[in-house]
Amino acid sequence: MDFLFLLELFINGLNTGLMYSLVALGITMIYKASGVPNLAQGAMVMIAGYLLWATIALLGLPLWIAIPFVVVLMFLFGLAIERWLLRRMVGQPVLMIVMLTLGLEILLRGVGPGVFDAAPKRLDLGLGLAPLVVADVFINRAYLIGAISAGILILLAAAFFRTRLGTKLRAVSDDHVASWAVGISVERAIGISWGIAGVAAVGAGTLWGSVQGVDWTLSALLFPAIAVVILGGIDSLLGVFVGGIIVGVLGSVIPGYLDPIVGGGTRDVVTSVLIVLTILLRPYGIFGREDIERV
Amino acid sequence: MKNKSMKKFSAALCAAATLMLAPASHAQEVVKFGLFHDFTKVYTFVADEFSQGQRDYLALLNEEGGIKGHRFEAIVRDHGNEPQRGIELYNRGREEGAIYFDFLSTPVANAIAPRALQDKVVLGTPLHGRGDAMVGEAFPYVFPMMASYWSQAARLLKYVEDTQGGLKGKKIAHVHIDTPFGREPLPILQKLAEQKSFELRTFAYPSPGNEQSAVWSDVRRYRPDFVLIWGAGNSQTVSVREAVRNGIDPAKILSVVWLTETDMKNVGESTAIGIKRVEVVQPGRDHPIIQRILDKVYKTGKGAGPEARVGNTYYNYGVADMVIATEGAKLALEKLGPPLTAEKLKAGLEMVNNLDTKGFMPPVTITPQDHQGGGQARVSQWDGKAWVPVSDWAAAYQDVVWEEARASAAKFSQGK
Repeated sequence: MDFLFLLELFINGLNTGLMYSLVALGITMIYKASGVPNLAQGAMVMIAGYLLWATIALLGLPLWIAIPFVVVLMFLFGLAIERWLLRRMVGQPVLMIVMLTLGLEILLRGVGPGVFDAAPKRLDLGLGLAPLVVADVFINRAYLIGAISAGILILLAAAFFRTRLGTKLRAVSDDHVASWAVGISVERAIGISWGIAGVAAVGAGTLWGSVQGVDWTLSALLFPAIAVVILGGIDSLLGVFVGGIIVGVLGSVIPGYLDPIVGGGTRDVVTSVLIVLTILLRPYGIFGREDIERV
Repeated sequence: MKNKSMKKFSAALCAAATLMLAPASHAQEVVKFGLFHDFTKVYTFVADEFSQGQRDYLALLNEEGGIKGHRFEAIVRDHGNEPQRGIELYNRGREEGAIYFDFLSTPVANAIAPRALQDKVVLGTPLHGRGDAMVGEAFPYVFPMMASYWSQAARLLKYVEDTQGGLKGKKIAHVHIDTPFGREPLPILQKLAEQKSFELRTFAYPSPGNEQSAVWSDVRRYRPDFVLIWGAGNSQTVSVREAVRNGIDPAKILSVVWLTETDMKNVGESTAIGIKRVEVVQPGRDHPIIQRILDKVYKTGKGAGPEARVGNTYYNYGVADMVIATEGAKLALEKLGPPLTAEKLKAGLEMVNNLDTKGFMPPVTITPQDHQGGGQARVSQWDGKAWVPVSDWAAAYQDVVWEEARASAAKFSQGK
C-alpha cells in the first residue's frame, strides 16, 4: 500500500469533511434553538455565495468589507425567513415545518440563478492554486484554510451557546411552552437562530464558493451536510465537528481505493451507507441527545 | 337605391381589402420552433446563452424579411431537465403548431425521441441526446447536426496522435463526471485504445462535481501523458483547478466541448493557459453572422438578452443550431414548396449539403443516413484571453464512431 497516497487522501478528506461541517453548522444551530431540521441550508449557502459575489463584482466592495456586509444581509435574511414563513407554522406538526424548509430550498435554488444569472461566478479569495507540499503529499491550501475556519466557527458557536442568549435558545429548543412561561420570547429566539444560520451560511458560501465558483451546485452541499448531522447528532456541535471529519475521510479514502476497481462513483455510496447505518444503529447520532418522552 | 350603392361600396371595399391582405398574410406565414430548455436546474450554465443565440438568429432572419415569405417564431419555455415536463411542453408545442423542437437536455430529449419518431416531428439534438441518433435510418426525425460526444472524443485523440507522432504507448486519463454523459465516450476510447495501443484509465467523480480532490490525487500519481476532462458547468472549473493544483500541465489537458470563456474566467484567466478543448463552432464576434446580429438585432433593441453575451461560445452554439435548422427550412421551401411541415423540414435538413458558413462552423452535410452532419470538429487552445484554433476542422476515426452508433441504433430499433 502506498502510505503517502493514503495519507494524502486522509488529510484532504479531513479538510473536505470540515468544509462540509461548515454547511452542517447552520442546520445544527437552528435545530439547537428551535428543534427544526432545516433542509434549506444548502440553498442559504448558495444565496450567501451569490450575495458575496454580487457585493464584490457588482458593488465593487473589497472582500474585507464585503464579508461583514453579507453577514449582516444573511442575518436579516434568516430573520425574515423566520418572521414571514416559520412563524406562520407555529402549532403545526414538525413534519410540515420540515417540508416548508424543503420547499424553501427548492424555491431558492431557482431564485438564485434566476436573479444572478445561471453562469458560474468566480469568487477569488486570493488563496492561489499552488498546493502545500509536505513530503510529496499535496495538501489543498483552500480546503486547509476552510477546515481551520470551520473549526474556529464551531468553537465560536459552542461559546455562543454558553452565553445568556445561547442559554435562552437552548431553553427554547427544549420546551417552547416552558420558555414562554418564564418570559423568554420564543419567536425572537427562533428568529435569532435562523439569523445565525444565515451567518454560518456566509462562511460556507465564501469558502466553498472560492473552491468551486458560485452557482446552484453550492446548494447540493446539503446532502453531505445532512450526512454529517445525522452521523454526529443533529443537536451536537461536537457531532458536527467529528461527523464532518468521518464523512470527509471515509468519502475520500474508500473511493480512493475502490473507484479504480469498480469504475468510480463510490463516494456518494459511502455517504449514503453512513446515513443508513447511523439511522439503523444509532438514530440520534454519535453525540446526539436521545430524547425520552414520558407518556 | 342608396342602400344598393352602400352594399356595392361595402362589397368592393371587402374585395379590395381581401386582395390587399392576401399577399400580406402570405408574407407573414409563421414557422414555429419549440426551443424548450432547462433554465432552472442542471443545464442552467448553458441554457440562457444558447437560447439567446437561437432567438437572436431567428430575429435576424425575421429582420431580413424571413425565408421565402416565412417568418420564424421561437416558443421558449423551461422544462427544468424533467422528462415529464418536457413531454408536456412537447405536446403543447405540437398543439401550437411547432415543427422543430430542441430541448438541450439529454434525459428530456431521450424521453421525447420515440414520440418525435412516432409523430414525425423534427427533434434537433445538437450536443446532447443519444449518440446513436446520428444513424438516420434508425432515427429519421432526430437530428444531432453537430459532432457527437463520440466524434468529439475521437477528434481529441486524433489531435494527440497528429501532434505527438502517434498514440502508441501513451497514457491517457479520462476524468469524467459519473453520469451517462461522462461515461458516453468510453466505448470509443476503449476501442481506440485497443486499435492504437495506448493505455486508458478512467477516473470518475460524483455529480455535480463540486468536490474532486481525491480523484485528482489519483490522477497525479498515474502520471498520464494526456488528460481528457468530461464534465459540464462548474464541474469543469473544479476539474481544471484541481488539475493545476496537482501540478498537471494545462497543455496536456483536453476538454469536451463544454469549457468556455466563462469557465476560464472562473478558473482564473492566466491559471490554465495552454489547456485545449474540442469545439464545433467558432466563438467570438469576428464573423459576419454575429456582426449581422449585432447590427440588425441589437442596434434596433430586439436582442433576446444582454448584448455582452453575444459571441460567447454557448451563444454561438445556439446560433449555429438555428443556422442549420433554418437552412433545412429554406431548402424544404425551395424544393418542396409551402406550407412548411415537419415532414418537409426533415426532408430539407437531409438536403443540407456542404453548408458553407465561411468558417463559423465546419461544413455540414446531412443525408438520410447521416444526421450528425459529418462529425467535424477542431481543437482550440486557451491563450489567457481567448480560444485559439490549433487544428483544422476534421472528422476523426468515423469508422469506429459509426460502428458503435450502428450497433447501438440496432438495439434501439429492436426495442432493447
